[in-house]
Amino acid sequence: MKKSLLFVLTALVVLSMLVSCAPKTAATEAPVAEEGGNYTIATVVKLTGVAWFDRMETGVKQFGVDYPNVTTFQQGPAEADAAQQVQVIEDLIAQGVDAICVVPFQPDSLEPVLKKAMDQGIVVISHEASNQQNVNFDLEAFDNAGYGEHFMKQLAEMMGEEGEYVVMVGSLTSKTHNEWVDAAIAYQKANYPNMTLMGDKNESYDDAQKAYEKGKEILKAYPNLKGMQGSSANDVVGFGQAVEEAGLQDQIAVVGTSMPSMAGKYLKTGAVDSIGFWDPSLAGYGMNKLALMILNGETPTDGMDLGVAGYESIKLVGKVFYGQAWVDVTAENVDDYPF
Amino acid sequence: MAEKFLEVKNISKSFAGVHALDDVSFEVRKGEIHCLVGENGSGKSTMIKIIAGVYEPDEGEIIISGKSYKRLHPIDTIREGIQIIYQDFSLFPNFTVAENIALNKQLSENRKFFHKKEAQQVARAALESINIKMDLDSLVGTMSVADKQLIAISRALLQDAKLIIMDEPTTALTGREVKSLFKVINDLKARGISTMFVSHKLNEVLEIADRTMVFRNGKKIIDADAKEFDQSKMVYYMTGRKIESDSYDFGDQNKSGTPLLSLNNLSSTGRFKDVSFDLYKQEVIGVTGLLGSGRTELALALFGINPADKGSIQIEGKAVKINNPQDALKHGIGYVPEDRLTEGLFLEHSIGNNIVVSIVNKLLSKIGLIDKNTKQKEIDTWVKDLSIKTDSADNPAKSLSGGNQQRVVLAKWLASNPRMLILNGPTVGVDIGSKSELHEIIKRLAGEGLGVLVMSDDIPELLHICNRILLMRGGKIVDEFQASQITENELAEKLAEG
Amino acid sequence: MKKFLRTNEFYVAVILILLCVFIGIKSPVFFSLQNVFDLLRSSITMGIFAMGTLIVIISGGFDVSFTAIAVSSMYITIKILFAINYEGSFLVALIISALIGLLMGLINASIIGFFRIPTLIATLGTQSLFHGFLLFFIGSKYINNVPDGMLRFSRSNLITTVTPTGAITGLQSGILILVAVVIVVYLLLRFTMIGRNIFAIGGSREAAERSGINVIRTQFFIYGFVGMLAGIGGIIHGAHYKQGNPFDLVGTELNTIAAVVLGGALVTGGRGTVLGTLLGVALVVVMNNSLILIGVPSEWQKVVLGIILIIGTGIPAYQNMQAAKRVKTNLAE
Repeated sequence: MKKSLLFVLTALVVLSMLVSCAPKTAATEAPVAEEGGNYTIATVVKLTGVAWFDRMETGVKQFGVDYPNVTTFQQGPAEADAAQQVQVIEDLIAQGVDAICVVPFQPDSLEPVLKKAMDQGIVVISHEASNQQNVNFDLEAFDNAGYGEHFMKQLAEMMGEEGEYVVMVGSLTSKTHNEWVDAAIAYQKANYPNMTLMGDKNESYDDAQKAYEKGKEILKAYPNLKGMQGSSANDVVGFGQAVEEAGLQDQIAVVGTSMPSMAGKYLKTGAVDSIGFWDPSLAGYGMNKLALMILNGETPTDGMDLGVAGYESIKLVGKVFYGQAWVDVTAENVDDYPF
Repeated sequence: MAEKFLEVKNISKSFAGVHALDDVSFEVRKGEIHCLVGENGSGKSTMIKIIAGVYEPDEGEIIISGKSYKRLHPIDTIREGIQIIYQDFSLFPNFTVAENIALNKQLSENRKFFHKKEAQQVARAALESINIKMDLDSLVGTMSVADKQLIAISRALLQDAKLIIMDEPTTALTGREVKSLFKVINDLKARGISTMFVSHKLNEVLEIADRTMVFRNGKKIIDADAKEFDQSKMVYYMTGRKIESDSYDFGDQNKSGTPLLSLNNLSSTGRFKDVSFDLYKQEVIGVTGLLGSGRTELALALFGINPADKGSIQIEGKAVKINNPQDALKHGIGYVPEDRLTEGLFLEHSIGNNIVVSIVNKLLSKIGLIDKNTKQKEIDTWVKDLSIKTDSADNPAKSLSGGNQQRVVLAKWLASNPRMLILNGPTVGVDIGSKSELHEIIKRLAGEGLGVLVMSDDIPELLHICNRILLMRGGKIVDEFQASQITENELAEKLAEG
Repeated sequence: MKKFLRTNEFYVAVILILLCVFIGIKSPVFFSLQNVFDLLRSSITMGIFAMGTLIVIISGGFDVSFTAIAVSSMYITIKILFAINYEGSFLVALIISALIGLLMGLINASIIGFFRIPTLIATLGTQSLFHGFLLFFIGSKYINNVPDGMLRFSRSNLITTVTPTGAITGLQSGILILVAVVIVVYLLLRFTMIGRNIFAIGGSREAAERSGINVIRTQFFIYGFVGMLAGIGGIIHGAHYKQGNPFDLVGTELNTIAAVVLGGALVTGGRGTVLGTLLGVALVVVMNNSLILIGVPSEWQKVVLGIILIIGTGIPAYQNMQAAKRVKTNLAE
């Protein structure tokens, strides 16, 4: 009895380790060697098998369809791990791809391998890594201040430019969340004098349950509340639930970053009014476009049109291109985004 | 003669090839007080555990009330009316007196539910049966050892015990408490309940036993009516040799020079007052007195744990201050504490590491790392010199018997090359054979030039190893004797006076 | 009475009352029926988890796997119910989740009982095992809806009240499950022999074995029961938040353990009460849900939480020290 139990347990442990360690890559097809103007562009993501990067892959594939001379594919480790991502890139260098588009898990730890790639003439484009050094360019969907201001404009419109509002961040130490919210607050102070920020930044710990409990408390503490701006994907989910339960869908405007799969339910009931995010498929498409331009000997410039929605006029700061590629999702168009 | 209750026949038990018990047979009769004595490792506890059903014997049988068992399970033992009171009493510190006493009965009745009222009734009755009154709602964890013992006994009686086995029951009891325990045991005897009294305190065995048997190296050496034993005979059977007790011969030849240690009106408020004496090289001075007389306090002051606040200490003629143990070490004073288990040893660590712990500095190689060879040499020297009995110095200190542990503590201090040793109760909890070997070691060390202070209330020990004995009472030295000029009885009387 | 003044329960109760009075003065909303209902609702799952944790801690063990059990039971149950399109009663979800929890609890018990691995180590291992198993073999996708039965349950209230804004809120029915669990655990610990055995093992495992208590069987009971409670708490949690999030709960186990310890349970085992644990849970829930009300800035919320925790656990610890001193002086006499 004891022995068989031990065996089963050991087998379980070993099995789960095998599953988690297996270097499962999402290679679609082996890259073909280049001939003439034909290029192979690889896109490396943080990890495979999650909705976000599955969505990115559709953009990468679409690019391959739109440009028949270019072979595109996406790869990534099965778990978010810097070392495994390095390994994937090493393999790609060995295969001799022409360009690598990468969404780094830890930008710092990728520097050496990206340098190696560039030394061998491979074009490198990164995304969500505005401080990456060894790249031709980095492409960001938007700059953080602009994104935050965009939310404030939405919120102000819904609130009729007056009344009390609160803001929520995933954590007080999250740089991007705070940049979004700070920009939004600054924009409100400059442009909407009749709006008032209540309390200071609320923390959700990136947890829908916490956001819900804080939301309930906020609704009690500020009975005249008219608006809320969230930052982590869970913020509006939890807050929306609190609003819905209090029956305040029509009184309180809720906007913030989230994903349609998470917040869709509340968008439909009106508890959450609008969520924003950037579409990873467009970012993937845009990176491949940048890479192809460089391979073709063109120089991307400030203010150019990448030919991708939201990237029509990309702003160049140092090596970083910023788009305005946020997508606003409301009850009307939520079903267009299955992720 | 009363009828047999328990009969143990030809029991043998080995652990990893070592005979812990070798063909042991004996009987316990109804209402008999049967004492089992033996040194550590003689097989006493193995025997208890076999009767308890914890170990399965390799050979032999056990017959209880006429029923034969090849092996007992704990529940058989309990059902047959045998109760074992272990040294730690196996009580639950988080339970009240009533809950503790009633628990086993409730368990053995296979109860499903617990009733507080009923537990209290049961407990009260049990305590009354041995004429004890106690607060039933006190937590056992807050009670004294003697009370715990009584709780354990009344718990045993509740299970209709016919035989109670007590493993070293008096270890932590004061003299008066031992007396009342003996009274309880005699009451049990009057009610036809047998007691198996396992101990190494010979005077207690001599006092209480109807029948005594001695184990040595897993064998039963002798089993006879208690009247046939006296102390020296028992020691002989336990150790297998005659133990000579020569007193320590110091002579006065060294007293001419500067004393090693000289105390002048040393006082510590509330602990001791105006203590003055000189300790010379090669001298062994005993400091005795009852508990609270100030002897332990004096030792602690000399080692700097609770520094004295008045008077002076001179070492080899120079006035020194000892404010903490580091000062004491600096002046070459070593201290072997009373409770070596909590104060003197790292039980989980190896014997070797325990020996060298205070001299790590001496073992450093040029680059500041511990030199393994030097360390091993040092360890080997002491293991050999003090005859520490172990397969390997890498074994943890807790694997040793009390006497050998005490030697490790000694080795630890000797390794630091002290001028003077303070031994507080050096042989408490050490069995007889080891005790006399420790005594020889102490005498030899003194002979080699060490000054030794022995705090003890063990009169034979004092007379055996000291040349001079100071008697303390109420924090003061009230008398002084030459060991060669006083007998055990005289010293015992002086000790008990006042 | 004097005895009661020395208990941990007394101190936790005093701290709780002081805290409530203070918050109530700063923000009168605190004592509104709506807020009380909200706090009670927030206490339901933590209360159920805390009852399980209390049993484990009394037995001298430590279980950090219950959150993984809870989230696994919840997620698997939701998947099963969606797969068979079951839209009936919440009771079915509750039973399925409890059974899955029980099963995982028994796995804990086997490892702890047969291999004698220290409980903390064993449950640290099974926490990863259960959660990893869930993510790899069952799914790691966020389910943003729950079966109808669970939805109906989460919307059901015992008493309803209308807030000033016109919304209807009420006392969530899950409180009945918490009350039931509390009563069962109280009766178990107070009036059954298995409860005695749990205390006994926590007090001294060796003594328990020598008294003839079957320690392994008792551990099977403990960890099985606790697993079942985790399953129950997990499914209620899922229903409350109307989602199946496989990354939920895991990592929050220390909050529950803190509540139990605040309530006076001795980490070394052998002591702990249902009343104290409930007070501990209440204290943690009030602290976590009232700092915005009284306008403590976010940066300071953690500091305030820390201070209250230190006071809450420090006073009992000080009490124990005093008690230990009393014992020592008794001995010296």
